[in-house]
Amino acid sequence: MASAIGSLPQHPETTEKSRPVPENSEANGGAGCPAQDPDVGSHGADPLPGKKDLFIEADLMSPLDRIANVSILKQHEVDKLYKVENKPALSSNEQLCFLVRPRIKNMRYVASLVNADKLAGRTRKYKVIFSPQKFHACEMVLEEEGVFGDVSCDEWAFSLLPLDVDLLSMELPEFFRDYFLEGDQRWINTVAQALHLLSTLYGPFPSCYGIGRCSKMSYELWRKMGEEEDGETKGRRPEIGHIFLLDRDVDFVTALCSQVVYEGLVDDTFRIKCGSVDFGPEVTSSDRSLKVLLNAEDKVFNEIRNEHFSNVFGFLSQKARNLQAQYDRRRGMDIKQMKNFVSQELKGLKQEHRLLSVHIGACESIMKKKTKQDFQELIKTEHALLEGFSIRESTSYIEEHIDRQVSPIESLRLMCLLSITENGLIPKEYRSLKTQYLQSYGPEHLLTFSNLRRAGLLTEQAPGDTLTAVESKVSKLVTDKAAGKITDAFSSLAKRSNFRAISKKLNLIPRVDGEYDLKVPRDMAYVFSGAYVPLSCRLIEQVLERRSWQGLDEVVRLLNCGELAFTDMTKEDKASSESLRLILVVFLGGCTFSEISALRFLGREKGYRFIFLTTAVTNSARLMEAMSEVKA
Amino acid sequence: MDCYTANWNPLGDSAFYRKYELYSMDWDLKEELRDCLVAAAPYGGPIALLRNPWRKEKAASVRPVLEIYSASGLPLASLLWKSGPVVSLGWSAEEELLCVQEDGVVLVYGLHGDFRRHFSMGNEVLQNRVLDARIFHTEFGSGVAILTGAHRFTLSANVGDLKLRRMPEVPGLQSAPSCWTALCQDRAAHILLAVGPDLYLLDHAACSAVTPPGLAPGVSSFLQMAVSFTYRHLALFTDTGYIWMGTASLKEKLCEFNCNIRAPPKQMVWCSRPRSKERAVVVAWERRLMVVGDAPESIQFVLDEDSYLVPELDGVRIFSRSTHEFLHEVPVASEEIFKIASMAPGALLLEAQKEYEKESQKADEYLREIQELGQLTQAVQQCIEAAGHEHRPDMQKSLLRAASFGKCFLDRFPPDSFVRMCQDLRVLNAIRDYHIGIPLTYSQYKQLTIQVLLDRLVLRRLYPLAIQICEYLRLPEVQGVSRILAHWACYKVQQKDVSDEDVARAINQKLGDTPGVSYSDIAARAYGCGRTELAIKLLEYEPRSGEQVPLLLKMKRSKLALSKAIESGDTDLVFTVLLHLKNELNRGDFFMTLRNQPMALSLYRQFCKHQELETLKDLYNQDDNHQELGSFHVRASYAAEERIEGRVAALQTAADAFYKAKNEFAAKATEDQMRLLRLQRRLEDELGGRFVDLSLHDTVTTLVLGGHSKRAEQLARDFRIPDKRLWWLKLTALADLEDWEELEKFSKSKKSPIGYLPFVEICMKQHNKYEAKKYASRVGPEQKVKALLLVGDVAQAADVAIEHRNEAELTLVLSHCTGATDAATADKIQRARAQAQKK
Repeated sequence: MASAIGSLPQHPETTEKSRPVPENSEANGGAGCPAQDPDVGSHGADPLPGKKDLFIEADLMSPLDRIANVSILKQHEVDKLYKVENKPALSSNEQLCFLVRPRIKNMRYVASLVNADKLAGRTRKYKVIFSPQKFHACEMVLEEEGVFGDVSCDEWAFSLLPLDVDLLSMELPEFFRDYFLEGDQRWINTVAQALHLLSTLYGPFPSCYGIGRCSKMSYELWRKMGEEEDGETKGRRPEIGHIFLLDRDVDFVTALCSQVVYEGLVDDTFRIKCGSVDFGPEVTSSDRSLKVLLNAEDKVFNEIRNEHFSNVFGFLSQKARNLQAQYDRRRGMDIKQMKNFVSQELKGLKQEHRLLSVHIGACESIMKKKTKQDFQELIKTEHALLEGFSIRESTSYIEEHIDRQVSPIESLRLMCLLSITENGLIPKEYRSLKTQYLQSYGPEHLLTFSNLRRAGLLTEQAPGDTLTAVESKVSKLVTDKAAGKITDAFSSLAKRSNFRAISKKLNLIPRVDGEYDLKVPRDMAYVFSGAYVPLSCRLIEQVLERRSWQGLDEVVRLLNCGELAFTDMTKEDKASSESLRLILVVFLGGCTFSEISALRFLGREKGYRFIFLTTAVTNSARLMEAMSEVKA
Repeated sequence: MDCYTANWNPLGDSAFYRKYELYSMDWDLKEELRDCLVAAAPYGGPIALLRNPWRKEKAASVRPVLEIYSASGLPLASLLWKSGPVVSLGWSAEEELLCVQEDGVVLVYGLHGDFRRHFSMGNEVLQNRVLDARIFHTEFGSGVAILTGAHRFTLSANVGDLKLRRMPEVPGLQSAPSCWTALCQDRAAHILLAVGPDLYLLDHAACSAVTPPGLAPGVSSFLQMAVSFTYRHLALFTDTGYIWMGTASLKEKLCEFNCNIRAPPKQMVWCSRPRSKERAVVVAWERRLMVVGDAPESIQFVLDEDSYLVPELDGVRIFSRSTHEFLHEVPVASEEIFKIASMAPGALLLEAQKEYEKESQKADEYLREIQELGQLTQAVQQCIEAAGHEHRPDMQKSLLRAASFGKCFLDRFPPDSFVRMCQDLRVLNAIRDYHIGIPLTYSQYKQLTIQVLLDRLVLRRLYPLAIQICEYLRLPEVQGVSRILAHWACYKVQQKDVSDEDVARAINQKLGDTPGVSYSDIAARAYGCGRTELAIKLLEYEPRSGEQVPLLLKMKRSKLALSKAIESGDTDLVFTVLLHLKNELNRGDFFMTLRNQPMALSLYRQFCKHQELETLKDLYNQDDNHQELGSFHVRASYAAEERIEGRVAALQTAADAFYKAKNEFAAKATEDQMRLLRLQRRLEDELGGRFVDLSLHDTVTTLVLGGHSKRAEQLARDFRIPDKRLWWLKLTALADLEDWEELEKFSKSKKSPIGYLPFVEICMKQHNKYEAKKYASRVGPEQKVKALLLVGDVAQAADVAIEHRNEAELTLVLSHCTGATDAATADKIQRARAQAQKK
């Protein structure tokens, strides 16, 4: 077990190195090819040699930052960096390079720039680098705008970014909106490619489980890819025993809850971007803000990241005392010991000291913010919603929340949570909450509501019941395929969340006698103060226990995933017992830090080790923002 | 042994030449070779004959016949020549037959007489006719050089990439040159020509006269010239019967020979081996064949029949009506072994092995002799090498047996050379077979490479043999078997007499899932032959849907392409098809197609959202999707429209759509927004400031903050703002203004629907404890403790909590008891608790 696990931390890096794509095609982008690869250096890989300005889409900044710093960009003669936004560019450089997502909007931006230059009688060189891939539609737009000939294109096939020893991110936050709202399947291919890449690196996965339409499609596409170029993975010893694919829409509830585990709380409060966070002056207690990389390398963070927030402060102060004690040891030292201390320990202690002060600062700042917003009340309401009691009080709490204009995103989140846990809102409340919301935050949110409804996040209750009656009648009458189609049509209209029933089946609300001891967690519910076991994590736990979906038929049906849960086992004889303990969990549409913490806990309890692959790390605010319609 | 060297003819002291039969030809030629235009491809290639080319007077009635034979005389093709008179034939490096016509048009035929393409050697030729033409091979491919009636030369160095080059004029040239040839030097093609006693070299720029060094005097005309296979050497035959041999650069003379025959030879070709020092030229007359080199005597053969010479890399092929022979210099290894009384190690080893078979002790003696000299390794190598150069399998075998025998006495002899030779010979013997008819020598085979050989087998449609060779040599599937199967399939689809089903099935049966075979490529070929249905059937076998799509689009099966693209899961592909469909179908049909493909529809919608808003609207209209249509107009109302009137109009359209969608709520909300917009506009006009685009709540807040309480209340009534919201709103706004007087008035206006705790909270937020206390007293009993704690009145809070006998409240208060000041209170609570428990 130790070997497989011990070797893993390097693997995500080999992901980058063995496949030269992320770094080198980066160089293709003219942006950052590390100097370590001299023959790719000057002209081979740099498609736009010479001095240039780089325009980069906001979304891609953090990933690029993780890979290439400013000096690498400078090596590639990048003069100035611009953000791609809806403003005319003031660049005076003769060569412009764009690093963007393959989106029509971006193409129009590039086209407008080129056309403006044309009008001004200016000729420059333009290079567009698409990440992770180029789409035909983009070229099409360039063509329609009449600039196709002026622009050259390239791809940065960057698909996996290792954020931590157990966390790989595809850094595709737009996946969520594109797929779950717009029904756009463009990224499924990208996901399949990422899976394919992983299976070429780690050998085949002996058992695969998944739930959700997107999971199923990605899985099938990936399988097809494997078949097309088989031989590569064949005969390799599998290093990862199981893979579990999960659509975000299978479990919205968990993602919508306020996070109370330290890492999740930091994400909710300060927003972790690509594994690092900007702590503002209120944390650093100086006038500068500080960028901190949050991963297992940070020893202090590593110990508290999965802890419930209520323990964190105590832990930190204990740590501070220990540190002080270690500093204090030097008092009784003779010269030799002192020398030893300075040369060997002091550096580590100082580092720890620095980290400690950062996290204490962050904690203070979180506490301040959370008490201000009546965090306790909020959590209480959430728990009430999860457990399904005092719905009326919760509803009026939400109403007050809206009336007081506390936060548009928070209000929306609570409404969605109410809707999903209650199987939709009763019509009267549906209307009144919406009206209140529109009055508070503006009429354009009419579209937001339409989006939420389409995604099944905020729905109306009544027609659902009658519909199921009709549905069952219809399917009784007609047994052929047509009935299936009709049911499909209905189910898309009223996809019931059935949370209450699922919660009961899977025992998501732990029965607690007395206080839940958050210091010594008993189950995964600790990530939500002992009130709720994350549905997604419970599903994974159950399936791994059974090694299939057997016996979970009812749950699967309640999740509206009747045909969409799959198990695929191949022979396991080649897999070593260590690798069988290694599980890759793939979240399509994003996962939260709370889920990661919960599964890490499960891993410790059951002797598994989880690795996470997600389209992006998400939280409730990001989900809601993705659904919101905002004025441009 | 003696008889084996019987056909060896010495030339000078150091070299032997031998001639042996490759095939006896039974091609049943009706005419003499001399009556035909003949072209034979090098590397054992096919032979083309064009009969009757000169009977112009009868051209109308008797058309000439073009026939193609394998080197063994098996007919490959025969077709009636229907085009113009042909001047010259020649084979390209890809074994395509180039037929140069008098009018300068070059027709290209395949090995099986299938017409491929044609090209012209220039317009100038049209009037002047082509007098003579040569096809030659360069490192770029195959070239064509022509001599026109105006005595000008035009050449193209590569017919694959046709670039015509007109050579400069030769000054004073009145008649055709007595002989000429194309030369390739320094990666460029030149022409060498002889006019009377003079030689001229034509390059791109100029014409220069050249003189071969050491040319015997008295030459008044050159009758023949020959360039070696590698363009390194040149031979000239003069009217004095004198042959000059030297380098093609004309800088060095190698040797000369006087044969005393003044009659012009029919053909003269070089016969030399790569890496051999011997240089020899073969000269053929009607009935005589002569090999001349650097020796006073020549080798002479009598030709019984009309013969034709084909220069090869390492010798000369000579074919006639009845036989096909090969003449070459005996390779060193063979010479060492077979030379009479040779004591070379290989010769001894061969002898030893023979004695061994006879079970004679002499075997040991021979072997000992070699071993004493320490030459056993060399002996084995010699035998292996010599085996390669033998044509007869029995000789190959005996040599290999000797090698294998010798190997036994060697400790460490790497086996690969032996194994490879066995494999190569097996392949060579197979292709030399009469039925295949590719008489390659070992050196030619090595020069050609196995890949090219396989291509040539494929070209001859000898698929089974090619596959057997691949399997025998264990070539990787992708390069070997699959490639050949794919070629076979491409050939198969051209068989028009077989039905589509049968062809498709036959191909699938044979190909199955062989890796590296692209069904779409085969389908593309089928489509190229006009068999669309077959192409579609073949595409069904293509496992990668992505590969099916482009061809389906090309075949105008766009709808099928769409479903295949969707199957592939590649959105980009789907999009490509969509754009194709959009241009191909009319709008209505296009939309109908989309309707049945939700994935494609959503993709197209995404595109329209950004690029073609009007189309998006049409899409929604077509589907009667009023809900989306409404959303569309709502978005337009703030994204596209600037003027208030325009925005209101857009909203009106949206509201109508929502009504149609039976979404009363959205319709009402939209109408409210219209009202609000108009009102905001009026407010801006009357009061100044910004109101447009604020939410209702913010509008009212702005009014309150601006001191327009009346207006605010009016607005709240008009839009039926609930009391609670209004109270929250006013409370926040007044606290922000720090208008405590107004706040108090407001609090007393009627009973607060939100209670009084928020008043306390907000006052404390503004750090006004004095005001907060006022409201704390009015807070209802449930929240009283909280309120009192907020204003910091711990003692009173304790009293209230005790009075309530509420455990939770007591704990809460207790947690606020900090420091000495509250010690009394804490005591009090503890006592109360104790009392409560007693009860």
